[in-house]
Amino acid sequence: MRPRIRLAVDIGGTFVDAIAYDETTGELRVHKAPTTPDAPARGVLDAVGGLTDRLDDVEAFVHGTTLGLNAILQRRGAAVGIITNDGFRDLLEIARANVPAQHMYDFAYAPPPPLVPRRHRTGVPGRIDAQGQVLTELDEDAVRAAGRLLVERHGLRSLAVCLLHSYANPDHERRVAAILREAHPEVSVSVSTDITREYREYERTSTVTLDAYIRPVLSDYITTLEARLAEAGLTHPLHIMRSGGGAMTAELARRAPLTTVLSGPAGGVVGASFLARTLELPRLISFDVGGTSVDCCVIENGEPGEVHEAAIDGFPLLIPIFDIRTVGAGGGSIAWIDEGLLKVGPHSAGAVPGPVAYGAGGTEPTVTDAALVLGYLDPGAFLDGGMRIDADAARAAIETELAVPLGVTAERAAASVFQVLLARTVGALREITVERALDPREFALLAFGGAGPLLGPMLAREMGIATTIIPQVPAAFSAFGMLMSDLEYEFATTVLRPLSDASLAALEPYFAELEERGEEVLSAQGVKPEDRALVRRLDIRYHGQEHSLGIDLGPGDTAADVLARFNAQHAARYGHAMPDGGQILTLRVRAVGRLAKPGLPELPPAGPGTPEPISARRAHDVTTGEFATFQVYGRATLAPGHEVRGPAIVEEGTSTTVIFSDQRLTVDAYGQLLVTGTGGTHD
Amino acid sequence: MTDRLDGATVEVIRNYLVSVGEQMRRTLVRAAFNPVIYEVLDFGISLYNADLELMAEAAGITSFLGANDHAIVKGVEYVGRENMRAGDVYLMNYPYWSGAHSYDAMLFAPVFRPGHEGPAAYLAVRAHWMDLGAKAPGYVLDSTDMHQEGLIFPSTKIVSQGELVRDIIELIRFNSRLPDLTIGDFHAQLAALRTGENRLAQVWEKFGGATVDQAVRQIIEHGERVARKAVAALPDGTWTAYDYCDDDGVTDDLIRMDVTVTVDGDQMTVEFDGQAVAGPVNLPIGSTESLAKAIYKELTTATEPSNAGHYRGLEIKAAPGSFFHALYPAATFTQWSAIVAFELIHKALAQVLDTLPASSGGDEPGFMALGRDPRTGADFVISNNEGIGWGATRDHDGANAQQHPSQSVVRNTPIEVLEHKSTVFHERLELIPDSGGAGRHRGGVGVLRQVRYLADGEVLSMKKKSKTRPWALHGGHEPEPSEMVLWPDTDRARRVGMYRATMRAGDRFVNRTAGGGGYGDPLRRDPSAVVADVLDGYVSAEAAARIYGVIVDETGAWRPTPARAGNHEG
Repeated sequence: MRPRIRLAVDIGGTFVDAIAYDETTGELRVHKAPTTPDAPARGVLDAVGGLTDRLDDVEAFVHGTTLGLNAILQRRGAAVGIITNDGFRDLLEIARANVPAQHMYDFAYAPPPPLVPRRHRTGVPGRIDAQGQVLTELDEDAVRAAGRLLVERHGLRSLAVCLLHSYANPDHERRVAAILREAHPEVSVSVSTDITREYREYERTSTVTLDAYIRPVLSDYITTLEARLAEAGLTHPLHIMRSGGGAMTAELARRAPLTTVLSGPAGGVVGASFLARTLELPRLISFDVGGTSVDCCVIENGEPGEVHEAAIDGFPLLIPIFDIRTVGAGGGSIAWIDEGLLKVGPHSAGAVPGPVAYGAGGTEPTVTDAALVLGYLDPGAFLDGGMRIDADAARAAIETELAVPLGVTAERAAASVFQVLLARTVGALREITVERALDPREFALLAFGGAGPLLGPMLAREMGIATTIIPQVPAAFSAFGMLMSDLEYEFATTVLRPLSDASLAALEPYFAELEERGEEVLSAQGVKPEDRALVRRLDIRYHGQEHSLGIDLGPGDTAADVLARFNAQHAARYGHAMPDGGQILTLRVRAVGRLAKPGLPELPPAGPGTPEPISARRAHDVTTGEFATFQVYGRATLAPGHEVRGPAIVEEGTSTTVIFSDQRLTVDAYGQLLVTGTGGTHD
Repeated sequence: MTDRLDGATVEVIRNYLVSVGEQMRRTLVRAAFNPVIYEVLDFGISLYNADLELMAEAAGITSFLGANDHAIVKGVEYVGRENMRAGDVYLMNYPYWSGAHSYDAMLFAPVFRPGHEGPAAYLAVRAHWMDLGAKAPGYVLDSTDMHQEGLIFPSTKIVSQGELVRDIIELIRFNSRLPDLTIGDFHAQLAALRTGENRLAQVWEKFGGATVDQAVRQIIEHGERVARKAVAALPDGTWTAYDYCDDDGVTDDLIRMDVTVTVDGDQMTVEFDGQAVAGPVNLPIGSTESLAKAIYKELTTATEPSNAGHYRGLEIKAAPGSFFHALYPAATFTQWSAIVAFELIHKALAQVLDTLPASSGGDEPGFMALGRDPRTGADFVISNNEGIGWGATRDHDGANAQQHPSQSVVRNTPIEVLEHKSTVFHERLELIPDSGGAGRHRGGVGVLRQVRYLADGEVLSMKKKSKTRPWALHGGHEPEPSEMVLWPDTDRARRVGMYRATMRAGDRFVNRTAGGGGYGDPLRRDPSAVVADVLDGYVSAEAAARIYGVIVDETGAWRPTPARAGNHEG
C-alpha cells in the first residue's frame, strides 16, 4: 500500500529534527541533520531526505523555524523606517524606560541601540483620540514627504507604521500604508493594527517594527523553501508553525512573519496538550530540557497557559504565545566554584566548544560531563555511537575544577552538580504553579528534549511528583507536537468598556468584524466550512487592576454569566474576588481550521516475560547516594505492559532515561514510559 | 551545633530560600490591587532567621534593598519574642522604625518550627498603601510633623494566631479614604506571608531545620566574603561630596546633603550629614540605610540576591536628629530626597573610581494628574514615572530617557493608558536635543512631555532636583536640571519643581527631564560619534560646532573647528 506521510520539521540551534508519521502503518520515524545557518533550507531538505525521498507521498508538511528569532537576536534583519505621529518619533526609543531586571543594580547600564536609529523615524500630522474620534485630519502630503525621506533619501526597503490610538480606529494607519504602497510599490510596509489591535503604543510600535525587521528575511526563506520542496515533489501546501500553537499556510506566514518567531518551543507545548487530552491528565507540566535552557509550561485540562505578550531580547511583541517559563540551565551549563559555593550556569558551553567530553576545546565542566562521571550516559552511545566522547577528560575537569576545591571526590562533585541544577529547576516549577495557587505535586511531568528524560525522573523524585511521562522519541517531541497542530489564528481588539449586557450588545459588530477576518483567513487557507471554528473570548479585569483574565464567551452568555466565570477564576487564581462589575479590556476571536491529525497509535502489548537488559553499568543512585549497578534497556525492546524496577537506564540513541532505586517504570499502551515512585513523597 | 555543610548543599538550600522569597513576590504582585504595587513595584519582601539576619529577599525596586532590616529589629524588640505565637501577624508603619513613610505598611510574622525555642524565622512584606488618612488625599507635600501623615501602627497585632483582629481592620477601614483598596492590599500582603510560611516549612521539613540554619550561617559567611573581597579591591581612602535637594516643601531653601565615604581594607563606612528640616523630606535611618546599601550592592554583588552577609562590611552613620536620621516627630512623607541622596556616594567615590558614571539627572522627575472625567463623572488619578538621562561613563555614553537608577526596573505609563483613564491629551513626547551633558562621552538625553487638559483638573509635579544641575565628571558638562513648566507660552508661564497646580480645560504643562552628566572633555569626543549625534538629532549642529568643535553638514561631512584642532595639537 502506498504510504501516506505526515511530516514535521523543527529547526533548532544545532540540529534540524524531522519526524515522519505514516498514517497507513502508524509508524513514527525521526531523522536529525545539522543546522545550516547560511542556507537554512538545505538543512531542512537534508533532514527530510533522511526519512523519505518521495515528497509526493507527503500529505501534510508542518515547519517550525527560528529564522525570524535569530534575525532579531543576531541583529541581521532589514533596515527599517518608522512613520508615526508628529511629535512622537521617539516612542520606540523611550520605550517603557525601564532597565531589564537582571541589570537592576547596574547603575551604568547602557541599553542596546534602538532597532531603528532616530534618523529613520519620522512623524506626520494627524491625530485620533482614545475613543477613536479623528481630532486632526491626516496630512497626506506629509506622509508622501515622509515616504520620500525614508525610501529615497535613506534607501530603506521596509517601513513600519504605528499611530497613537490606532487600535481604536485604524483608518489613519491604513491610509498611510496605502499612500506609501502607491508611491513606493517595491517597498514592504508593515502596519501595527494588521498585527494587533491592542493598546499600549510602545508595545505596538515594537511589534510592528520587529515585523518589518524580519519580513524580508523570512519571506525570502519561505519562498526558497517552497520552491525547493516543490522541486522535490511536494504537492500539498507547506504549513508554518505559529508561536501560540497552530499552524498557518506559507502564504500567510509571508504576510504575518512575526507570528513565527517563537514557534520553536510551541511544538512541544502543543504535543504536551495533545497528550494531556488523550491521556486525560487534568494537570500536566511540560518539561523541555535542551542544551542551554529548561522550558516549562503548565497545562490544565488540556489547555496550556497563554499570554498575549512576549519579549525577544527585551523587545516586546503583542502576539499570543504559550506561557512558557525558562530557566537558563541545561545539559551544556557550566558548573563552577564561587568562593566555596557550587554554582551551575548561567553560562553555557553551547554547541561550541560544548562539554569537555566532546573534545572540541571545552575546559569547563558541564552538566553533561557530570552525567558521564555518574554513569548516566554511555560514552559509546552518543548519537547512536556517531559521536566520539572523551569520558576521561570529563572526569578530569570535574576533578580539578570542582572536586578539589570542594574537597570531595569527583563522583560526589558530579552528583552535587545535579543537586544544584535541580534546586534551580524546582524553584521555577514552584513559581509557575504558585501563580495558579496550585502545588507542583498535583501535576504529572512530561519530560522531553535531549536531556529531559535524564532530568525528569530525578526532578519528580525531588519534588514528590507522582508520575513522569517520557513520550516516544523525546528528543524530537517538539516536531511531534507540530504534527498535532490545527490551523489557528487569533484576532483581538482593545475596547475598554464596563462589563454589562449593553456593552456585550454594542460589541457585537466588533466580534462580527473579527470573525469575518477569521473566516477570510481560514477560507484563504482552503479550510472547509465544517472544519472551521470561531471561539470568542473577553479579557476581563476589575476596574483599576492591570492584570486581566481571559474568559470564554459562548452564544447567549449574559454579562452576569461572564462576571460569575471571571469572579470564580479570579478567586481560584488570586484567593479573592471583588465587589466590582468588571471591565472588558480586549475582545479576542480565535479562528481554528481543524486539520486531520494522527491519533496516538496503540502498540501491540508485550509478550510474556520481562524485558531483557542489553547491558549493565555502575551509576550513581540518588536514592541512596551510592553507586549501584543499573540494568540498561534498549527502548526499542520495551513494549506496553512491561515494567522495570529501578535503578535502571533506558537508552534510545538521542536520549537516556534514568530511574533510581525507589522508582519503577511501566510502559503504557502507546509505548510511553511512565516513571512512578515507590516510596512516599519527598518535598 | 550542626557540622559545616559542603558548598553544594549550601547552594541547594540557598536556591530554595531565594525561591521562597520569589514565590512570596509573585503572590503579592498577582493579588495586589493598587498599581503602585504591581506596576511601580513599591514593595520589599524579606526572610530573616531567628537572629534577625537576612536570609533572602525579593526587592521590588532598587532603593528598597534591605528596607526591612532595620524595621524587623525594632518590631521584634517592641513586641517581644516571648509574646509571639504561631499565626500572628504584626503591622508597622511608624516611620522612624519602618524606614519609610507612613503609607508603606510592613506586615511581619514569626514562623515557628517544632523543637525550636521561640520563632525560628521571621517574614516581612512591605508594600505601599493608597490611603491611611493623612491630612490631604494622594501625597502630602507640606506636612510638618508625623501626626499630619496618617494613622500610625507601631507593630500592632492584626492577625492573632491565624484569626484576623477585626477591631484593627475596622480601625483602618474608618481611617482610610480608600478602604477597599487598602484592605485589599493588606490581604495580598497576608497571602504573600502565608505562601512564605508554608514554603519555608517545606524547606525545613525537606532538609531539616538545623541543617537549614547551618546553611544560612554559611550563606551569610559567603555573602560577607564576596562583598568584602570586592571592597578590598577598591583603593583605600576617604572622599567627600555634597549635593542639593531643592527644598523641604515648606520653605524655598536649598537643602545641602553631605557624605563622607571611607574605604579601609575590606570595610566601607558611609557617613551622611545634613540639617533636619521642617517639611516632609527628612529621612528615617532605615531609609538612609537602604539607599546606601543599594550603591554598596552595585559596587560589590550586583547580580546576587541579598543576604545579611553582603552588608557586614558596610557601616552607615548619620547623627540622630539630623536630616538623614529623622526622629519623632519630624515629617518624612515625601522622601524623594532619598533619590537625590542616592547618587551622592557615587559622587564621592567617582573621585577615585573611574568606572563610575556622572550624575543620572539626580532625581525621578514624574508627575501625577487628578480630575473628574465629564463624560463619565468618575474621578481619576493617573501618574507616570518619567525617564531621565543617565550619566556618561569612562567607557560609554549615558542611556537616553531611562528610569533613574534608584528605581531602574519601574516602567513609565503608556500614553494610550493615560489618555484612556483621564482627560489629559498628549501633544508631544520626544527626546530633547542637546539635553545630555556634553563630554568625551555624552550624558543621556532627557525627555519632553507636553500635555493639554481637555477638562478641569490638577497636576502634581514631583521633583526634588530642579534648582541645581546634575554633576559631571572629568571636564564633562553639567546638563540643565529637570523642570515642569506650567502654562507654557502664556504670560502665566511658571517653572516649578515639587508643586501642585489647578488646571483649567485647555491649560498645558511641559515636563522636561534632565540629561545625564557628561564625562571628559567634549573636544576629545570621537568626531564620528558627534556626526552620528547630529544626524540623529541628539545634538544640534550648532552645539556640535560650539561645544564639540565639529562642524557637520546634513550629508554627514565634517571638519574640526579651531578649538578642536588646537586641542588636538595640545
